[in-house]
Amino acid sequence: MKSFGKYARSVSIIGVGCTPFMYTVDNPETDGLTEGELFGYAALKAMEDAGVNPQDVDYYYHGCANPMGGQNYLTPNVHVTNWFGMKGKGSMHHSEACCTGYLALEIAANAVASGKYDCVLTGAVEFGDSTPHPDDSIETPKHPYKRDKMTMEKFLKTTSWLYERPYTRVLMAGQELIYDDAAEWYVRTRGITAEQMNDTLNAMCVNNRRNASVNPLALERTTYEELAAEKGMTLDEYMNSPYNPRMGDFLRAGGVELKCDGAAAAIVCATEKIPEIAKNLKHKPIEIVGIGSAACEASTPHFEVKATEEAVSQVYASTGLSGDDLDLFYANDFIITSHLVSAEIAGYLPYGEGWKYIIDGRTAWDGDKPINSNGGRTSFGHAHAASGLADIYEACKQMWNECGDHQVKKLPKTTMLRGYGGAQNIAAVIIRTMD
Amino acid sequence: MAIKLEKVVEKFYTSLEEGKIMGRKCPKCGNVEFPPVYACNKCGSYETEWYEISGKAKMHSIVLPAALSTKPEYKKMGKFAYGEVELEEGSRFNAVVRGISKKNRAELTAKLPLNIHAAIMDRDIGVKTVVFDLDEEYLK
Repeated sequence: MKSFGKYARSVSIIGVGCTPFMYTVDNPETDGLTEGELFGYAALKAMEDAGVNPQDVDYYYHGCANPMGGQNYLTPNVHVTNWFGMKGKGSMHHSEACCTGYLALEIAANAVASGKYDCVLTGAVEFGDSTPHPDDSIETPKHPYKRDKMTMEKFLKTTSWLYERPYTRVLMAGQELIYDDAAEWYVRTRGITAEQMNDTLNAMCVNNRRNASVNPLALERTTYEELAAEKGMTLDEYMNSPYNPRMGDFLRAGGVELKCDGAAAAIVCATEKIPEIAKNLKHKPIEIVGIGSAACEASTPHFEVKATEEAVSQVYASTGLSGDDLDLFYANDFIITSHLVSAEIAGYLPYGEGWKYIIDGRTAWDGDKPINSNGGRTSFGHAHAASGLADIYEACKQMWNECGDHQVKKLPKTTMLRGYGGAQNIAAVIIRTMD
Repeated sequence: MAIKLEKVVEKFYTSLEEGKIMGRKCPKCGNVEFPPVYACNKCGSYETEWYEISGKAKMHSIVLPAALSTKPEYKKMGKFAYGEVELEEGSRFNAVVRGISKKNRAELTAKLPLNIHAAIMDRDIGVKTVVFDLDEEYLK
């Protein structure tokens, strides 16, 4: 057993649950689902997966990036509590935008490693693609279950809430650099051309979609090869055509998140207590061996790069591990460039060479350096707070050899998840299957 | 000095109305915080003091605006780019630099870091803001 961080106790993930990521209002079968139903499903699936029941779980954490806009709630943890058998137990809500689902693991691990609790649930739910009906204003009384589609125009207005009001919004640059700063940094520091970056961005979209195409929980499963064939184009023609328009200085439309609805959860348990608590344990425990954290407000130059460097260096210092030890990598790539820059900063891909690995398809689920085997934010989908826990779900299933048609070639033992979001929080999480 | 509950943000914007661009300087290590805040992020001193910046700066990176990264109200700035700006006093932050377009981007990128200087601009939201302009040497 390896203790978590500076705590004396080892902490493990013993079960995970995840809904499909979906556009709930677009499908009559899912239209009308509520936050309690989504969170409750993910929570109960995680408990079932862990071999525990709700009475075995001491406490739960609840994550949501936009509880007012998406759920019309100020205290969303309280309002799902009756749905999964934990009525009356303690809980708290937290919100770190798109990084919520990764920091959800950190707060759960801290709570268990400290000895306060032995077994906790950590979950997140987001309606990223719909709002309670009617959607005219947050003050209007809402229907109990009907929802309206969240237009992209409305979504982009709410994203301004992510940025610091006194200075950053007024100085303008911080919130606009999220789309292309990392690409510019990579091109300039690695000495590649804008054309090579364009090819790399397109290849990341193609690889993510290939991964999603074999994942039943993913939002968008039609491959870019199939989309190109439908239009009578080669893949290269399609990816550089108006079907994938340039939306940023480097970024094309395919490299931007698909916002959607979904929930995910994990059961985190003191490793020493597993025999006592999880009597029906199904898998080898996956230890949370370390988590590095950093936050760079958006006025900070190269915020994603700097915060990732800091978080990665913390987690390697605390665990003694390096990029050479990683078998699998996840990056919260709602701007797809994240996928390249974070994998290189973590040393999972070699400095200055990562873009070649991506173009050669080596980072797809069936390659030798898989990244985002679930399809990432541009194809699996982005239910903002829930995405990090959905990545943890996928990572654990891969590490337990339970991914069937999209099981990576080499059974992963050690995985890094690089969380990112909220202008900008960063988490670098390392989990490892126990011997 | 003592730790004070102070309207730093309001003073920053009223100073812009008076034509002054203000930061805060650490009395212990000399670091200048821009935009101005209470404490020093370099040495951790609780206190900083008002300090008028010279406006001289360097630009270290160039990102051009595009469909996702612009707004109708930015049109009044003409051609511009976003990037990492370093004040003469040492502060580094993301800012707008005017005078950069697709046409001169390659030439300017080859010359990074670029000499720039601060300007005060009306934001049409009830306050003025700080942007930067290329120094004359690049305008030939």
